[in-house]
Amino acid sequence: MTIVTRSLVWLATSTLLTMGAAARADEPDAASREHAQRIAITVCGTCHGPNGNSVQPKYPRLAGQNAHYLAAQLKAFRAQTRGDPDAIGYMWGMAAQLDDTTIEALAAYYAGQKAEPSAKGPSATVTRGREIYEHGVAAQGVPACSSCHGADAHGTQEFPRLAGQHAQYVLKQLASFQSNMRNVAIMHGVAQNLILDDMDAVAAFLESQP
Amino acid sequence: MSGRTLGGFVGRLAAVAALAAAAVGVAPSAYAVPSFARQTGMACEACHTVFPELTHFGRVFKANGYILSNVKQVQDVTGKKEELLSLAQMVPLSIMAQVSYSQMKTGVPDLASAGAPGIAQNGTAGFPQQLSLFYAGKIAPNFGAFFQITYGNDSGTIGIDNTDLRFADTTLLPDNSPLTYGLSLNNNPTVQDLWNTVPAWGFPYAASNATVSPLAGTAIDGAFAQDVAGLTAYLYWNESLYAEVGGYRSAKQGQTNELTGGAGPLDGSASNAVSGFAPYWRLAYEYNWDRHSLEAGLYGIQFRLFPGGAPGGEIPLSGPVNRFSDVAEDVQYQFVSDEHQFTLAGTHIHESMSLDASTAGGTNPKDSLSTTRFWATYYYRRKIGGTLGYFSTTGSTDPVLYPSDATLPSGANPGVIVSANGSPDTRGWMAEVNYLPWLNVKISAQYVAYNKFNGGGTNYDGVGRNASDNNAFYLLLWFAY
Repeated sequence: MTIVTRSLVWLATSTLLTMGAAARADEPDAASREHAQRIAITVCGTCHGPNGNSVQPKYPRLAGQNAHYLAAQLKAFRAQTRGDPDAIGYMWGMAAQLDDTTIEALAAYYAGQKAEPSAKGPSATVTRGREIYEHGVAAQGVPACSSCHGADAHGTQEFPRLAGQHAQYVLKQLASFQSNMRNVAIMHGVAQNLILDDMDAVAAFLESQP
Repeated sequence: MSGRTLGGFVGRLAAVAALAAAAVGVAPSAYAVPSFARQTGMACEACHTVFPELTHFGRVFKANGYILSNVKQVQDVTGKKEELLSLAQMVPLSIMAQVSYSQMKTGVPDLASAGAPGIAQNGTAGFPQQLSLFYAGKIAPNFGAFFQITYGNDSGTIGIDNTDLRFADTTLLPDNSPLTYGLSLNNNPTVQDLWNTVPAWGFPYAASNATVSPLAGTAIDGAFAQDVAGLTAYLYWNESLYAEVGGYRSAKQGQTNELTGGAGPLDGSASNAVSGFAPYWRLAYEYNWDRHSLEAGLYGIQFRLFPGGAPGGEIPLSGPVNRFSDVAEDVQYQFVSDEHQFTLAGTHIHESMSLDASTAGGTNPKDSLSTTRFWATYYYRRKIGGTLGYFSTTGSTDPVLYPSDATLPSGANPGVIVSANGSPDTRGWMAEVNYLPWLNVKISAQYVAYNKFNGGGTNYDGVGRNASDNNAFYLLLWFAY
């Protein structure tokens, strides 16, 4: 890991940790949870699946995703600060009128759902992806993904769970980080030197993880 | 749209003949409604592959009554938090226009040149061919509308077009699977449907209104569009299993009771008035996996019709009726990704006719008619694409229903819209290429080629016209805002 990327990781981690501590004070009550469950199944569920295990790779799997990360994304959609193409086309609208309570409750709903394992099995690409995930690509200054997203790719409250995520979705996000359409400094730093084959490999590895 | 051209037939059997003539090849209404995008805040691609074809999300949005709204609402509630009002702060209005140019392979006779008919000008500009205003969106918490009024250059008037008013709600079953239930009040059997296989929503999504249409079409195939009012109830379980039943009754536009001068009651001057209610039913199942969606279904309707007459040739709305029983199958496969959109769809409609009210006029007591259509559509990045489609109608030979003579007051028989052998058989292909510079603007070039028309390939009308003479080129600019 280069000094620059180490600093970025530290900066992002400390910032998000502070935000996370503030957000956890605002736990949704029972009525909010029930309301959120209904929205999640009858509205969000059309794309993301009723329990967040979407079948279409265009729509990310949300089951088991970390609540704080999800809430932060919904707020970024609402504020129109997350700018990857599908965020603009789909989620800016869907999140426009969500209040903070509903956002927290939706995030809690998905965090509480069981992530169904993907059917993707081992392959040479997956093996290469595991190598990148666990050790990075030193020659290109790409840090190990596991240093933030965890050895099991389940993430933390600050960094998203990636295990079981649709490979196509991960690929699109990496491309958006690379182009800065999704403007996240730390991920831009990570992704800017990733070549497409390595993105493919790491996405395939992540999809195969339970 | 309303005001369909019913052909030049007069006399006692006009009604049945007109029904047969009404359906096929007439420019279908078109649908693309940016007001939904404004209401949901979502891009067209959420609900459409390319308009007007729906994605799974679009189907669910429709089944839920067009009410998903992500804009600020003007609200009112009771002390128990019951919603009394939820009104978008923006009226869900849209405008849609079609500008077109149509050219047939061979022009049609110009009836103005009596005795030695010349040829009507070949090459018709429609500016606009159609201009529509939509109210499309939420009205109340569980009540939404798709309401279209249309100016058409063929009628030169503004009239009611496809309308679908829906009440819908969703409940969670004990296993947490969603069950959507609703009612649709609409004016065109199948306009309330969710899939792009049924007559109201199938390919071609736009067609020329300045070419020649074949005589025959089944009753469910648009013959009663904007001529009936129907109430249907539906269940949509887990966004996959769909069941619907309902009934339609005549709701004629521009019909005047000769005695009262009012819009009704319908009397003997009304043609093809529905006796009682026409029962409609629909069953479909959709399975989604990865980027694929597969639907298979059945639908049908049974009309019992009084032939009626026309002012000056009234026939009482009583006694025997003509029965048109339609049963149809449909299939749709979609592959939807950001790069590629591919659709394979089709329907087969079988109609059994019992023409008890018209046998005295010479029709067969029983006839049958079948229509098959299927098509494949491909788009690259929702930008450029095309469709190739096949259509075929076959049925009983009935020289009264599909007459050989369109004799005009002048005594001439210009042919073209007749069948020399009394057969309704028509078959052909359609090819279309489309370019969308933006998601709500489509430029299309379409070609329709007939192998058979009104029962024949060559000299089908008995006065020398071949099926291929009706081949037509159609250029269209279609946009909605």
